[in-house]
Amino acid sequence: MARTLVIIPAYNEEATIVSVIENIHASVPDCDIVVVDDGSRDDTASLVCQHGGAELLSLPFNLGIGGGMQTGYKYALRNGYDVAIQCDADGQHPAEEIPRLVARIEDGSADVVIGSRYVADSDYHPSFLRRVGKSILSRWIDLFIGGGITDTTSGFRAMNRQAITIVARNYPEDYPEPEVLVILHKHGLKVIEIPVQMHPRQGGVTSIRPHGAAYYMIKVGLAIVIDIFRRYAPVGVKQ
Amino acid sequence: MEERGAEVVGFYLSHRIGLLCISLVFMGVVLELVRRSHLKERYALLWLGAALGGLIVGVFPQAVVWFSNVFGFQYLTVFYITSFLFLLLLVLVFTVVISKLSERNRDLAQEVALLSHRLSRLEEGHVRDDP
Repeated sequence: MARTLVIIPAYNEEATIVSVIENIHASVPDCDIVVVDDGSRDDTASLVCQHGGAELLSLPFNLGIGGGMQTGYKYALRNGYDVAIQCDADGQHPAEEIPRLVARIEDGSADVVIGSRYVADSDYHPSFLRRVGKSILSRWIDLFIGGGITDTTSGFRAMNRQAITIVARNYPEDYPEPEVLVILHKHGLKVIEIPVQMHPRQGGVTSIRPHGAAYYMIKVGLAIVIDIFRRYAPVGVKQ
Repeated sequence: MEERGAEVVGFYLSHRIGLLCISLVFMGVVLELVRRSHLKERYALLWLGAALGGLIVGVFPQAVVWFSNVFGFQYLTVFYITSFLFLLLLVLVFTVVISKLSERNRDLAQEVALLSHRLSRLEEGHVRDDP
């Protein structure tokens, strides 16, 4: 099996972090786990240390989800991992689905595989407003990257070495998931999605507040257009 | 002639005194900030220049008229609009500087996390090949 790393960004996730690590080890025994502690003020870091089942990267202060994820991808790049999976620390992302994501990377069907909540056999039912918002966002992204992805905000993803190299270099700061798709598309990578059953959140709070939704839409919508025209430093990747 | 200059600009004596006081206080504040290392000399020069401009206009109001003539401004309003645009540009430059700094700040924080992890691994005796 390819050297696989599961990246778990964590900010104040003491309620769930240990069970998330244990679930991953149970489902994917031969992968490494790295927890990126994004300046938590609770016991997240010490719980990870005590548990010992995961490596711990401690950011000196809170960078936000984008900066935290990027730290994990830099770690994956420097330590020579072939596949990196990003997985939430709140237990929503099903560890038992990780092997399916990795399998699609390993058989070469794509550079990036997204665990999607929308594809036919999933039963994720977000609120009406959330559905409308996400649908507008997905249409907007379709316009630029040619479609095929319905769940653009899913943070449950697997990436191959080439994708890791790109995101370690360029990672958007806040609400990064949709933008990352555009960046990967610009670098000519192939992204597919497969349906997964998400678990309900087990603890902690969502980073997207309801009144922030409008800001979210505008920020991400604009950022995507900018990403299309942005100049990126060339990334030396062997195919 | 000189009095006419002042009238044209529309400065009364009280305006001039006010402008002088503001410029002097501003200059003092800027110098004090530099002295306490709260402000870099590079940026201080800019603000000292602005304060000096205020002083000059306070002492010689016709400088504004002279300046407008040199640059061919028909109306003094253009002079004020130009100053405003200059300040706008300055703020833009500063937000660019802040963006760059926050990017470097993020990179450094990430590097600290990665290096301190590597250091503790090395202390534990796990030596890895890390490019």
